[in-house]
Amino acid sequence: MAAVYTAPVQALIDELGRLPGIGLKSAQRIAFHLLKLPAADVHRLSAAINDAKARVRFCQRCFNVADGEWCPICLDERRDTRVLCVVEESRDIVALERTGEFRGRYHVLLGAMSPLEGIGPEDLKMKELFARLEPEGVTEVILCTNPNTEGEVTALYIARMLRPFGIRVTRIASGLPVGGDLEYADELTLGRALEGRREFATDPAAP
Amino acid sequence: MIVRHLELVDFRNYAAATFDLHPGITAVVGRNGQGKTNLAEALGYLATTDSFRGAPDDAVIRVGTDEAVVRATVVDGEREQLIELSLSRHGRNRVQVNRQRLQRARDLLGALRVTVFSPDDLAVVKEGPGVRRTFLDRTLTDLAVKYDALRLELDRVVRQRNTLLKQLAGRLDDADTSTLDVWDERLATVGDRFGVARGTLVERLAPMVAEAYAQLAGIGTPVELRYDPPWRDGGLLAALGAARADDVRRATTTVGPHRDELELSVNGMPARLQASQGEQRTLALALRLAAHRLVTERTGSAPVLVLDDVLSELDQQRCTALLHHLPPGQVVITTAGVLPDAAHPDAVLHIAAGAVAG
Repeated sequence: MAAVYTAPVQALIDELGRLPGIGLKSAQRIAFHLLKLPAADVHRLSAAINDAKARVRFCQRCFNVADGEWCPICLDERRDTRVLCVVEESRDIVALERTGEFRGRYHVLLGAMSPLEGIGPEDLKMKELFARLEPEGVTEVILCTNPNTEGEVTALYIARMLRPFGIRVTRIASGLPVGGDLEYADELTLGRALEGRREFATDPAAP
Repeated sequence: MIVRHLELVDFRNYAAATFDLHPGITAVVGRNGQGKTNLAEALGYLATTDSFRGAPDDAVIRVGTDEAVVRATVVDGEREQLIELSLSRHGRNRVQVNRQRLQRARDLLGALRVTVFSPDDLAVVKEGPGVRRTFLDRTLTDLAVKYDALRLELDRVVRQRNTLLKQLAGRLDDADTSTLDVWDERLATVGDRFGVARGTLVERLAPMVAEAYAQLAGIGTPVELRYDPPWRDGGLLAALGAARADDVRRATTTVGPHRDELELSVNGMPARLQASQGEQRTLALALRLAAHRLVTERTGSAPVLVLDDVLSELDQQRCTALLHHLPPGQVVITTAGVLPDAAHPDAVLHIAAGAVAG
């Protein structure tokens, strides 16, 4: 297709279009929005991107975003080193931290296995994960990859690789949103929740 | 289920049109090219969010406009729902139930079930196995919406595995083996579940197809459905293992539900190759009719039945038999010619140039 826009505009649209979740239409809309902005605003945005890129690094241990060598979680002495939670992206840590339920450490894979995107296990932080287990005295690995095709396969792969280590491997449960109604749950979630049901023990001593 | 009221905006050749459909039989009469099949297609869209003719969304948005809307008042038992689907040339498609927007288009599945009989149904008998798999899978989705998600998951895993096989370029080292192992395991988990679902469906459907065939043909002819993929006995994981060398060499997944065949036979002969035209047409009708009855029986409410231009294709005896054996429920019959005497419509709509003529 012949270029409709002048070269700099087209280049901007192309770059924006490469971002996750941004299609051609959105890329065009954002590009023209940027062109209309005062120069100062555009500079602030590009400075923020450059600054973040220059200063933010990945934690050398868990590959969470960090502003030094290690991320705040790995620096926190009070965290339980025996339990390790494996996630796909740093933003998953943010979600899990909000629960306040987990006091162990994390390991970020920086993606999930997906041949369609050209991502195999060697492109993820897998070796780094296996190397951490012994030195840190990890006794349980919780697989918190996404409950979709790629996340499930990645969890399966790690579980297989962890077999020789003889440590406990668990998978995060899929289920119903708390405070929601069964009626509004989609059939897949509800099906998974049924599959993963638990014994509901009542105390026999209770009246 | 009954569609009481249907409204089309910029859908195919309809700029804006409303239809009041009778809870019994509505005949839609008009010359060719006036929009009868488009009306049937719109009903199908609300049920499946796609075209039963296999047309892309772009093709059903009226020329020169950017958005098509299909809106219907659906009555199921005591419940009345307003369901809306808008198809956009540029943005995302939107679905609403009772003015509440649903997150994904596929959340609409199950709100309305429609069985469409069309002359294209002959493909189920005459063409390749893919058409028959689609027939089975659509019926499964009508029975329970979860099967649609299972089908999508299966498609995704197969695509991922095929891409991986292509990347291997015929060679398999230890690291690749571990990767392929987990894709196999995932494919087997999803595939086995799918195989069981299809197998159970065919078991239930087979006697109903034979019965429907006998009713339509007027004679008891042995009709058989067989779904017996070679991987089912030992499980898909073992079959994938056995086919691995071949899969790596051919860079594609050669075994699994995406390759299955539903074998149809009439009088002990394969229907695709050895049945007569008349037998093939009767079998295609019998498959639809049986699926319609099964869905009615299992879900407790009859899908809206649309006979799109099929009566003209049938000889008088089969036409009368089909009308005579129509299950209870709402029926929409479209025809370009004269309605057969046996049709007895409760209402007649005349369509001309994308509008309902008074």
